[in-house]
Amino acid sequence: MNSKTIAVTLALVRDTFREAFARKIFWGFFGCSTALILFFIFIMRIDVVQGAIATVSLFGNAAHSLDVQRLVRQAHGAIAAFLFTAGMFLAVFASAGLIPSVFEPGRIELLLSKPVERYHILLGRYAGNVLVIAANIFYLVFAVWLIFGIKTGVWTAGFLWSSVLTVYMFAVLLTVVVLVGVLWESAAVTTMVTFAIMIVSPILAQQQTLERLLTSETSRNIVRGAYYALPKVFDLGRITRSLVLGNPIDNWMPVWSSGLFGVAILGAGIYVFARKNY
Amino acid sequence: MSFAIETEGLIKIFRSRWSGKEVRAVDGISLRVERGATFGLLGPNGAGKTTFVKMLLSCAHPTGGRAMVFGRDSCEAEARRPIGYLPENHRFPTYMTGHSMLDFYGALSGMESAARRKRIPELLAIVGLAEWGDVRLGKYSKGMLQRVGLAQALMHEPSLLILDEPSDGVDPIGRRQIRDILQALEQQGVTIFLNSHLLAEVELFCHDVAIIHRGRVALEGKVKDLTAGSGYRVEAEHVPERLEQDLRAKAVAVAQRNGNVEFLFGSRDEANQAVDLLRAEHCEIESVARTSSTLEDVFVKAVNEQ
Repeated sequence: MNSKTIAVTLALVRDTFREAFARKIFWGFFGCSTALILFFIFIMRIDVVQGAIATVSLFGNAAHSLDVQRLVRQAHGAIAAFLFTAGMFLAVFASAGLIPSVFEPGRIELLLSKPVERYHILLGRYAGNVLVIAANIFYLVFAVWLIFGIKTGVWTAGFLWSSVLTVYMFAVLLTVVVLVGVLWESAAVTTMVTFAIMIVSPILAQQQTLERLLTSETSRNIVRGAYYALPKVFDLGRITRSLVLGNPIDNWMPVWSSGLFGVAILGAGIYVFARKNY
Repeated sequence: MSFAIETEGLIKIFRSRWSGKEVRAVDGISLRVERGATFGLLGPNGAGKTTFVKMLLSCAHPTGGRAMVFGRDSCEAEARRPIGYLPENHRFPTYMTGHSMLDFYGALSGMESAARRKRIPELLAIVGLAEWGDVRLGKYSKGMLQRVGLAQALMHEPSLLILDEPSDGVDPIGRRQIRDILQALEQQGVTIFLNSHLLAEVELFCHDVAIIHRGRVALEGKVKDLTAGSGYRVEAEHVPERLEQDLRAKAVAVAQRNGNVEFLFGSRDEANQAVDLLRAEHCEIESVARTSSTLEDVFVKAVNEQ
C-alpha cells in the first residue's frame, strides 16, 4: 500500500468520523458509554476482604458475601450481552445512514470524479463506519474492565476479547448495510433488512429442533441452508458470553462462517457499486 | 497528438429495470477537444450533455464507443487525475467547513498534506471566501457554494477543468469573478470544458462549441465561425441618401425601422468609422450595440433542423 492509497483511506475514514460527529452518532454512543463508566466509578462500591467480596453497594444498598470472580464475570457478561444485543441494534440503526448518504446525487459524482477506484471509496467508508463503532465499544469495555480490575483485583482477558467479537459481528452486519445501501440507496431499507437478519438469527439457531419439526425435506434444506448462509448473530452472542464467563468454546464455525458471509456480501456490494451508473 | 478529450461513437443507453424500455441518452457522440481549448457543450434540457460528461468521469459507463482523457481510457482511475470537476446541483456535505471540504477532496485527488495546507488559503482567497474557510458549508449561500465548489475543482491544479453550469445561482459580480478566474486559467494553458445552457456565457468565454441534441452532435465548430453573422448594430436617423449608400456597401446588413436606418457591421472598427461619418453629417445616433445572442440563433437553428 503506497502513501497515496493510505492518504485516501485516511481521508475517507476521517470523513466518516466527521459525519458521525455531525449526526451526533459518535457523541450519542460516547455519552451513553461515559454515563455507564461513571456509574461504575462512583455509584458502585465494592469492598474485597481476602479474595471475597465483603460488600457490594449500589445507591447505598449493600449485598454481602459474594465471590469476587463470579461477580466480576457476571457483570462483564451482562455488559457484553447488552452490547451484543441492544448495542448492536443501536449501532446498525445509527450507521445505516452513513453508507447510503455517500450515494446522494451531487455528492457521489464528486467522489467518483477523483482518481480513486470505486472499491476504495466503498471500503474506506466501510472501514470508517466500523471504526466509529469500534472506538466506542473498545472505550466502554476497556474502561469497565479497568474499573472492575482496580476495584476487585480481578483481571480477565475474556471480557476484552468479547469487544473484539462484538465489533467483528458489527463489521459482518455492516456488509449487509453496504450491499443494500448500494442497491437501494435508502437508510430505511438497509435498517429493515439488517434488522431482519438479526431477528431471524435466534430462530435459525434452533435449526436442529426446527428440522425435527419439519416434515418436508425441502423445508429442512431451506432452514439448514439459511442457517449456514446467514450470519450467526445468536451463536456469536453465545460464544461471546462463554468467552466472558471463561467457559470453553467447542465450536468456532459460527465465527468463520459469519466472516465468510461478510466477505461475500461486501464483495457483492463492491461488484454492484463498480457497475452502477450515477 | 493526444487530445484533452476524445470520444469515438460514445453511446449510453438507459434501460428501465421493469419495463425494459430503452432511452438513448447519448447516441454515438464523437468529439475532440484540443489541449488548452475553451470548449462549450450546449444543448436543450435532456439532450444528453450531463450523461456525456458523466461518461468522461466514469460516473456512468458507456454502452458503446469509448472516451479518452489525455490519451487514457476514461474508465481508468488515473485518467481522472488531471481533471477538476464541478457538477451541476452539487451537494457538498454540510457538516464540512470550506477548509475541511477542500482538504478532503484535495486528499482524494492525491495531494500531499503539506501541499493542501498551502493551497487551501490561496484558493479561498482567489474565490473570495478567505474569511469563510472555518464556517460550515451549511451556512453558505448558493453563490458561495458555487465558488467554493470551483475552488474544490481547482485544488490539485488540474490540466482539464470540467464545469457543469458553473455560474448557476451566482450573482453578476460572482459570475464576473468566476469568468476572470477561468480566463486566468485559460492563459495558463488549462483546458476548460464548459457544460452550460447559458448561451451568452459560452459565447463570451468559449472559443469552440458543440451543440448536442437528442444525444447527437447537431453542430460543432469555432464560435467565431459559427457566429460569422455577429457584429455591431448602429441605428441612426436623418441619414442622407449618399451616406446611406456608402455605409450600405460596408455593412453586412441594412434595415429600415420607424424612419431610422439600422446598419449591421462585422467589426468594431467598421462600426466606429460609420459612427464618425454619421456624426460628421450631423445624423442623430439612436443606438450602438454589439449584436448579441447570435449563438442563440445558431443554437435554435441547429436544434430545429435536427
